[in-house]
Amino acid sequence: MKFTKINRNYYGYFFIAPFIIAFLIFGLYPLYNTLSLSLTDYTLMTRKGEYIGLQNFTVLFADQLFLKALGNTWLIWLLNFIPQIGVALLLSAWFTNNRLKIKGVGIWRAIFYLPNLLIPVVIAALFNSFFSFYGPINQFLVRVGYQVEAVHYLQNVEITRAVVIFIQWWMWFGQTIIIVMAGMTSIPVHLYEAAMVDGASAAQMFRRITLPLLKPILIFIFVTSLVGGMQMFDIPYLLTDGRGAPSNSIMTNNILMYMKFASSRGHIGAASAVAVLTFIMTTICALGIFFVLRDKDDTVSSKPKRSWFTKKSETK
Amino acid sequence: MRKSLLTILSLLMIASMVLAACGGGAPETDAPADSGSGSGGSSDSGGSASTGGEKQVLKVWSFTNEILTMAVAFEGQNPDVDVQFTMIPMDAGEYQTKIKAAIGTADVPDVVALEAAFVKEWVEADFLADLGDLLPLAEELQTYPSVVEVGTHEGVTKAYSYQATPGAFFYRRSIATECLGTDDPAEVQALVNDIESFLEVAETIKQCNPNYFTVGTSGELFNPFLANRAQPWIVDGALVIDPQVEAYIDFAKLMRDNGYESQANQWSEGWFAGMNDSLVGADGQPKKVFSYFLPTWGLPYVLIPNSGDTGGDWAMINGPLAYQWGGTWVGAMADSKNLDLAKQFVAFVALNEENLTNWATGVYTNEYLKAIDPTIADGQSQAAGDFVSSQVVVEKITSSFDGSPLYEWLGGQNNYEAFSLAAPNVNGALLTGSDDAIQRALQSARDQYLNGEIDKATMWKQWLDVVRSEFPDLVIPEPPQ
Repeated sequence: MKFTKINRNYYGYFFIAPFIIAFLIFGLYPLYNTLSLSLTDYTLMTRKGEYIGLQNFTVLFADQLFLKALGNTWLIWLLNFIPQIGVALLLSAWFTNNRLKIKGVGIWRAIFYLPNLLIPVVIAALFNSFFSFYGPINQFLVRVGYQVEAVHYLQNVEITRAVVIFIQWWMWFGQTIIIVMAGMTSIPVHLYEAAMVDGASAAQMFRRITLPLLKPILIFIFVTSLVGGMQMFDIPYLLTDGRGAPSNSIMTNNILMYMKFASSRGHIGAASAVAVLTFIMTTICALGIFFVLRDKDDTVSSKPKRSWFTKKSETK
Repeated sequence: MRKSLLTILSLLMIASMVLAACGGGAPETDAPADSGSGSGGSSDSGGSASTGGEKQVLKVWSFTNEILTMAVAFEGQNPDVDVQFTMIPMDAGEYQTKIKAAIGTADVPDVVALEAAFVKEWVEADFLADLGDLLPLAEELQTYPSVVEVGTHEGVTKAYSYQATPGAFFYRRSIATECLGTDDPAEVQALVNDIESFLEVAETIKQCNPNYFTVGTSGELFNPFLANRAQPWIVDGALVIDPQVEAYIDFAKLMRDNGYESQANQWSEGWFAGMNDSLVGADGQPKKVFSYFLPTWGLPYVLIPNSGDTGGDWAMINGPLAYQWGGTWVGAMADSKNLDLAKQFVAFVALNEENLTNWATGVYTNEYLKAIDPTIADGQSQAAGDFVSSQVVVEKITSSFDGSPLYEWLGGQNNYEAFSLAAPNVNGALLTGSDDAIQRALQSARDQYLNGEIDKATMWKQWLDVVRSEFPDLVIPEPPQ
């Protein structure tokens, strides 16, 4: 009797234990370790560090390169995220639309998702060779007569950034489509049917039904993409010289962090400071997104049916 | 029907998950030798030669598979030793990062190969063992003083090299005959004896045929210019911008603006294509490259493998500037559990007359290595011609290259003789541990300036900003005007 009682009380803990243990070891401890390292002048080549307070951070804020990396990271993320979510919403709306009845949705979705399966190294090497001085793009544009002579595309700040943005968009919009479509198909069809009976246009249905009910999904996409975007590393690192060339224009927070870590002495304290600032910034922004997109009247998600009707009656 | 389809689908899914798991694991297992697996236990047996079943394990890390050849030869001489060789590429610093991360862990290698770009970092730090007791061997073999100097910091020698890497200037005999009127090495050397006359030759070649470029990229002259500085990059905690650095930037701009270079980045496809006349401009015209600045190792590893059927049409001279470039040093980690064996290995690789002679004269063929270790890959071997660090060996084997395939490839020139004349001029004191970061930052800003994206003042500023960011304690001078 007593035995079963214990069992019943502790079952839950057993079930969540794997996650909690993994989180403590791989989540919380590294975070704590990074925080404590960021307050030292620890380097890999000396293997000793002393507590230096916030000096790493003051150096960082005086560092032109850090401010530039910060700006680059935001710019590249925003310019890739906005079209990404836009295209994903549009295509998902078409794919799930009952009137359009697009054939082979699964195939399209798979095709859009494919770039995500490629290894970033391969994609970066491919684009680097496409845009190189003797590469196919130069050869084609000159022979067609569009360009007078070959140019160093990846020496141009705007073009290089555009290439990074395009690759990020191209790699990730398929993923976003899958999530958005999952969200859209979970919206009850009878809402749309009722709206159609009432004579709502497709645009009205999208704005009044789809978007409000999709909000939790959108918040999820927003936050995961923000976290990913602030940690952008592989494509910009591999596309040019691994140091943000040209003119540090594709240097992101993580490339800077890696440069400090991989510098001749391995300034792991300074690298941790970059990581801590990225963490703080991402956390604040993610909380901001939750705050801005929160359910203000708390009825939309819990009772979708009623909110639809009340809103509709308001507009009439 | 429906059910079987589901079964097939779910099987496919499981298969793809297994495959995905394998794919994720691949990068870690791509190293030829598997590290770990109880090697620590067996290596504790230490110095005494254990003839029983257990072999002594020596973990060697490198960034190319060159040293694997010598590791197999070492195993041939020491049958009770198992050298576990791991290759990690260093294109973007992965190799250096990997060693730094391994320090203090059970995975720490016993012996590491260190490239010229970062050997000083390690020699200046405390992780390499003091190999001073091998110095008598170096004296005996008359290792080039610059080679030992690079491996020495504050009087402690921690790394040795099997190579000396004086640089040379390789040019195409056919283009020289067509445009300069002679292909004789002595006469061409007289024409390109300094940078000014080199620029005149570049203009002559351009006038001779607009589809000929004098060099692949002016980036090839970065090392030659830097090798002629009066001071290293860092002196007493301050960055030194030597006049040679400014001279190089002006030179590179001139080369770009006048169209003397093919503009293919070093190590890019186009750069290699110029070595075998397969370079085609965007205008559809075939282009030719007159010359390449490459050091000793550049001949067997870079130029010849990429030269296609242009062999025999090349010649080598000292060129406008004496320089050295690259080279691989070998050191033992102080943490090594097998320090005696590690020292023995370093001595074999860099300070063993027999090994160096075999290395340079092409004894280590694939068959030779397969006889020792049948599992070795088919391509693994060492062709004749690498320039070794010992003057004793160099003097003994120089004449053996007369009439060799290399001799024929150079249109009847003994490359060993030419390198042996250049090697003593090399200055080993210019290397410092911070060179790599400083130079890569300068190259990035330079490319922007050469391409006309930024002006010269911005270039200096951009470079110094990056240096300041990487070395916050360094005193940075005012940028040049």
